[in-house]
Amino acid sequence: MKALDTAKLSDLAAALAEAGYRVIAPVSDGEVLRLAEWTAGDEIRTDGFAVNSIKDILLPRSEVIASATIDGDAFSLTDVPVEAPKTVALGVRCCDVAALAMLDAVFNWDYEDAFYNARREATTVVALACTTCDEQCFCTSVGGAPDAAPAADAILRPADGGAKLALETQTDKGAALADAAAGVLADLDVKPDPPADVPVIFDAEAVTEWCAGNFESDLWQAVSLGCLGCGACAYACPTCHCFDMQDEGTRTAAVRLRNWDSCGFGLFTQHASGHNPRPEQAHRWRQRVMHKFSYLPERFEVLGCTGCGRCARLCPANVAISEVCRQIDQEAKAPAP
Amino acid sequence: MSVSESLRTEAAALLADGRVTMIIASRRRGHDCVPGFFTNADQLDALDHDPDQQLNPAAYLRKEEIRRQMPVAVVARPAVIRSIVLLAAESQITDDDVVILGVDGQTFHGVLDLAAAAALLKAQYPDLGPDDDVLARVDELNAMSAEERAAFWAEQFAKCTRCYACRAACPACYCTRCIVERNTPQWISTAALEHGNYAWNVIRAFHLAGRCTACGACEAACPQGIPLMLLNACVGRTVEAEFDAKVGYDPEAEPVIGAWREEDKEEYIR
Repeated sequence: MKALDTAKLSDLAAALAEAGYRVIAPVSDGEVLRLAEWTAGDEIRTDGFAVNSIKDILLPRSEVIASATIDGDAFSLTDVPVEAPKTVALGVRCCDVAALAMLDAVFNWDYEDAFYNARREATTVVALACTTCDEQCFCTSVGGAPDAAPAADAILRPADGGAKLALETQTDKGAALADAAAGVLADLDVKPDPPADVPVIFDAEAVTEWCAGNFESDLWQAVSLGCLGCGACAYACPTCHCFDMQDEGTRTAAVRLRNWDSCGFGLFTQHASGHNPRPEQAHRWRQRVMHKFSYLPERFEVLGCTGCGRCARLCPANVAISEVCRQIDQEAKAPAP
Repeated sequence: MSVSESLRTEAAALLADGRVTMIIASRRRGHDCVPGFFTNADQLDALDHDPDQQLNPAAYLRKEEIRRQMPVAVVARPAVIRSIVLLAAESQITDDDVVILGVDGQTFHGVLDLAAAAALLKAQYPDLGPDDDVLARVDELNAMSAEERAAFWAEQFAKCTRCYACRAACPACYCTRCIVERNTPQWISTAALEHGNYAWNVIRAFHLAGRCTACGACEAACPQGIPLMLLNACVGRTVEAEFDAKVGYDPEAEPVIGAWREEDKEEYIR
């Protein structure tokens, strides 16, 4: 199979950059790993987990989606060119890739989002299989696997005790990428390493089923007490996609921005009248869990959670959606009297 | 008796007496110690002391769900006690709302009311504040030119994603409608871009002037690693010096940001 030395991953990046790809890969940023634009000299890390996700590439934190000028009485709308450079997401984990099916569905549901689609089209996704995991990982509980990424264009599999990476292409885009990198790949007889053992900790179907009938449950209050209502989880999450539109301008020019938003914020559902249909964190947590485990499966037959665990790792209050799901699963199987 | 055992014993007594209806403490989950909310004696086996806690549980005292349960008990290290004292000084809680279970590393300071907790701070922790290395970095920053300092902070704030974890983690950030949530007009851009990020972080620091108890929860909460303790120390140290006031030691003290005295220095008015 086509493979390369893990230590030579930067050479692969260089070859792809040479072929015109913008390379986004997990690189060191101080003490953390971050998915960021690779430049020559950066080491691509395969031994950790990036704090941010593939979402950052497809849905930026803030983008201009419309712009206008006013000159006297003349108002004119200017087209905003969609920035979608040819990109490779090199070494994103399978749980990141699992988010794509859901993001693709939402951004092409009642409206085809030109901005998202342009970036999606321009991006070749190369997954990296996991041979280790941590306490917060739970891909196997939500229909995923540490070594399978069906939506990826290609997948890198650690082999020979991590010394090598085998490249397996899965689509035409993946094959094109392998061609571009032909100079750094060799036909080697390598043995892929066993995938990480990610224990299943809850039954996602049971959670979906319980949600449908327990909108008013006291459980929502109990599981959300620790939540302080920030947006760290939603922003880090590969599937969270809610956004806020903001118009900013002067007397002569304006832009319309699409910014990340979080259903955890109190303001998220605040009405102009002053009424808030989700006045407390319990209501907002109910929304978070039901959106991911009830509404999305109902509408698109796909979960809104890939078990990446970023939310739990980053949460200032250590709230973990996996723990909440475990509690729901327990409640579903043996309801408290 | 370990601190955990002492906490469990006192928590059980407080619940049994009906003195509080909830204990805000920590519990073990796998290899982590995470916030725990105990309303029943039979839950207390899970209560565990977290000597490395970075979160400030006084932040929970603004949540309606918690306020409805008052009086509550809070396991509080000295910086957290300062925050609770601040909340009392700013009329967010009364003496009757909170019982403090004082802790510090592996020391248990007992069950304290507000007055006793403040007395403990004055007696045993009179010099709480940012670490010396933070203060040294404040000096370095102050030695820079205004342009260099502005450039330093611009680089830090570029990382900000406007998740507001800093605000959520801070007990002094209890406004029901934050300045960034005001939109007639939208004073601060909500986009995670330079202009808004600078304004947000600086305004939060200004709104904490004389109110920050240097607990570090904001910096620990920040997913992007912005040195918020440094920013808050820059403001906090100036306030302490100019107004000769140290927040969090006196539940009756008027907040510096909200009070004027005839003897306040006016040298900075030029």
